[in-house]
Amino acid sequence: MSWLTPELGAHLIDLGSAMLLLTCFAIVAQRRLSACVDLFAVQSLCLAMTAAFVAFLTGTKHIYLAAALTVVVKAVIIPRVLRRVIERLNVTRELVMNVNVPASLLICAGLVMVAFFITQPIIPFGHILTRDSLAIALAIVLIGFFTMIARQKAVTQLIAFLVMENGLFLGATAATYGMPLVVELGVFFDVLVAALIAGIYTNRLQDAFDSVDTSRLSELKE
Amino acid sequence: MSAEWITPAVLVLTLAPLLAAGVSLLVASSRWLHVANLASMGALVVAETLIARSVVARGPVTALGELVYIDALSSLILFIIGTVGLACSLYMRSYMDEQVARGVIAPRRLNVFFCLFHLFVFAMVAATIANSLGVQWVAIEGTTLATTFLIAFWRRRESLEAGWKYLILCSVGISLALFGVVLMYYSSVRVLADAGAGLNITQLQQVAGELDPHILKLAFIFLFVGYGTKVGLAPMHSWLPDAYTEAPAPVAAMLAGVLETVAVYAILRSRGIADQALSPEFTGALLALFGLASFAIAALFLLLQHNYKRLLAYSSIEHMGLAMVGFGVGGAVGTFGGLFHLLNHALAKSLAFFAAGNIHRRYRSVEISEIHGLATVLPGSAAALLISGLALAALPPFALFASELQILTALGSWGLPGDWGRSGPSGPLILLLLCSLVAFASLLIRITGMVWGRAPETVAHGEPWSTGHLSLVLPAALLAVLCWALPGPLERLLQTATSILIHR
Amino acid sequence: MERTVWLSIVLTLAQVLLLIAISPGVVGLIRKIKARFQCRRGPTLSQPYADLSKLMRKRPVVSTTTSWIFTATPYVVFGSTLTAGLLVPMFASQVPLNFAGNIIALVYLFAIGAFFLMLAGLDAGSAFGGMGSSREAIIASLTEPAAMMAVFAIALTAGSTNLSVIVHKTALLDGIVADPSPHLLALAALFIVTLAETGRVPVDNPATHLELTMIHEAMLLEYSGRHLALLEWAAAIKLTVFLALLANVFAPWGIATTLTGTALALGLAAFGAKVALLAAIIGTLECMFAKLRLFRLTDLLGAAFILALLGLLLFYILRG
Repeated sequence: MSWLTPELGAHLIDLGSAMLLLTCFAIVAQRRLSACVDLFAVQSLCLAMTAAFVAFLTGTKHIYLAAALTVVVKAVIIPRVLRRVIERLNVTRELVMNVNVPASLLICAGLVMVAFFITQPIIPFGHILTRDSLAIALAIVLIGFFTMIARQKAVTQLIAFLVMENGLFLGATAATYGMPLVVELGVFFDVLVAALIAGIYTNRLQDAFDSVDTSRLSELKE
Repeated sequence: MSAEWITPAVLVLTLAPLLAAGVSLLVASSRWLHVANLASMGALVVAETLIARSVVARGPVTALGELVYIDALSSLILFIIGTVGLACSLYMRSYMDEQVARGVIAPRRLNVFFCLFHLFVFAMVAATIANSLGVQWVAIEGTTLATTFLIAFWRRRESLEAGWKYLILCSVGISLALFGVVLMYYSSVRVLADAGAGLNITQLQQVAGELDPHILKLAFIFLFVGYGTKVGLAPMHSWLPDAYTEAPAPVAAMLAGVLETVAVYAILRSRGIADQALSPEFTGALLALFGLASFAIAALFLLLQHNYKRLLAYSSIEHMGLAMVGFGVGGAVGTFGGLFHLLNHALAKSLAFFAAGNIHRRYRSVEISEIHGLATVLPGSAAALLISGLALAALPPFALFASELQILTALGSWGLPGDWGRSGPSGPLILLLLCSLVAFASLLIRITGMVWGRAPETVAHGEPWSTGHLSLVLPAALLAVLCWALPGPLERLLQTATSILIHR
Repeated sequence: MERTVWLSIVLTLAQVLLLIAISPGVVGLIRKIKARFQCRRGPTLSQPYADLSKLMRKRPVVSTTTSWIFTATPYVVFGSTLTAGLLVPMFASQVPLNFAGNIIALVYLFAIGAFFLMLAGLDAGSAFGGMGSSREAIIASLTEPAAMMAVFAIALTAGSTNLSVIVHKTALLDGIVADPSPHLLALAALFIVTLAETGRVPVDNPATHLELTMIHEAMLLEYSGRHLALLEWAAAIKLTVFLALLANVFAPWGIATTLTGTALALGLAAFGAKVALLAAIIGTLECMFAKLRLFRLTDLLGAAFILALLGLLLFYILRG
């Protein structure tokens, strides 16, 4: 492995992180719900690959487990659940958005800048392997956060939440080489359960409101 | 209690709710559901009392191979979980059975309700005794997941809406807290040799001084905003009134009394670590300012309410804000006041929600304007509502008066932390007093209007004694007693917890 | 000295011939892949060559209402596109004309072609031509900024606007891959720009004629005979040049960095493989996506612009 210098390894991890960021932008720009689910699955695969690469470079065995779980939970199970939810709904795309696509993209670009500026003072303290991963992780979390506000469909909001979780996992893996195993397993469990619960909710919302448009959820007011 | 009893006690603490959750799914009759419920809560109270005595006498303990860490602070929170949980169990005896009898829910769904309730209690216990900040996060997210269906339990459109809002807002908020945990770990793995223990409170407390202040500052901001959402601090509070209104009364009591307290505990834990590397003025100012803002905003919203459950919900935000001001100002008085306030608020708010549940069952309405003459219709609940109302308005002879006074004294003596306190304590003090006056007036006008007046003809009069009333007597008595005479062991527990928070 | 001059001339000729020779093949390859996805056998790879040679032999019909612009445009477009092609390294990292222009000149050479094509579309006075020109103008005004931003992001990471220098440095892993994030963002932006500039799905559909959605084809509607052949050939060359740009700027590995026989042969093979791969990707994408409505194009091209801008800004932050 003489060709695999730590420098090159760091660049490859950063490349993986950048791929995640790119899929994030694609999700923001995408109106079709099913395409959003596919993009989320792709993003999770990118995440698993990055994690596996971190595991390979650092020799941390338990990150392999986390990567495998990412593939199973986030790239297979959750997208399947989401697809089933979408099939049952009568909507296939976001028609009315709180913030339109070009403006959303511009705001997301701004959020990326914010993330880089926030993490700038602490990046030099990190491992040599990871330079922009932490910043990108924060950027993904912020973009997910923004997407939750900017989109109205329950499914899109759920995907945005999962994107946030992907960003967090990237931060945990790429910036710190993985948190303690018990924590990671717990987080996985929580995310899976949260996704399942939200899936059930979407069905119930559909039954009760004939819509998964969360702007219709306006019966509780001051 | 000797040290070898700690591990069994901790096992009881964690296994009792889990076992009860399992049993709840299996048994058929509601009678056994209640037996399992009371048994697990009783076991919880016994175990936490034993642990608290040991902790006060001998200092913090770890158990189950460093997985569990309990000091006086976590013991205090466990005490609150146990007390309010026990009261809740007593209350559910009559409340849930009546819902089944009236045909609101199918008997089968009672099993699901109790199972989720026990899981909720388990998650809160786990969040309180976890040694690792990561496990704590997992447990607090677990409380969100366990309660979201409890909030939407009636399956009406409004409850679905409230449940969805709660799930989404709290999950998102708490995701930010996870980023804070990641950052905390990011800073600690460079200092600690054993990366596997990098999130353990026991380890972090030892090396906190060496951690990088930049990272810790960022980490604490994320943790504070994340768990602050769960506490319901303004401006992250918008889920809270909806959830408390739609949740079944015992669940609302647990949410308002205990869950908020656990979330505050999570903030205090990370603050204890962050403070050693940062100036305590930074974290203190953050807490105090958000606390002040929550207090003021909630007081104003209290004026607008026409739904008594929402009224209680906003009062929760207000009191949590006040406790935050206490912790933010710090010092022995402020911190003690804050902790005491958490305890008192948990008692008063659960009492209030129990009473509100009884009223809702009888009147079938949550509108304040439709409720009159409680004193003749439901004398017991009317007394409970009045007591909790007076307590929440911080009037003597109830314990919230004592703790609020302590917090105000601390604020008056030291002012806001850091640069914010330059202009002296009078500004924030006047703001607090004005807002508490507003809150006082809006609570008492509404509650007196509900308690007295002419009762409508359509509702049945009279309230026969049932075991459910024990749940009203227990917190009410505690509230009255705690104001005048703090029992010795409890006072020592509070003192030790305070010294943990201000000890640096 | 003598030898390098001769070598340059030989390389220039080789690249011109290569571009002219393989570009119809690239178009044929994409068509073939699309046909396969649609469960058709599809025309052979040589079909575009046959089409071009047939058109070349036909006399063009020129409307009497047109001006000199109409007849000049095919030659201008073909010439400018071919010149642009000479600025992009294909199989050797040293470009024949690297002294003559940089990546900015490349963008503007393509702009000259587009400009004349728009004029010609208007010149004949047909309704379709004008419509095509106006749409082309919209798209051009949206892609140009994105293209420039992407180009600047790349130029900054390499520290030069000269394509040869950029490709040479990247191929030798000399300081360029240090910041993969801006690089990747710029790549995504440039890929979208490529789809827009070469009139592929989801921006334009090259397979439609006489449909209300067409853009590029609408401008060519009045052309016939060898004029049409030149314009279609120019479009194919433009596609090949963009693919070469994507392949060699972002993944230049395999390109000949020295002028030895083996290196050149290897570079030629790598070039063929990379262009074929990109053509396959484009063909696959065209089968997966429908053409976007004209008013939705702003979303896509806006995204390209923002990605490129972000790449540019990240470069400053990472280096700052």
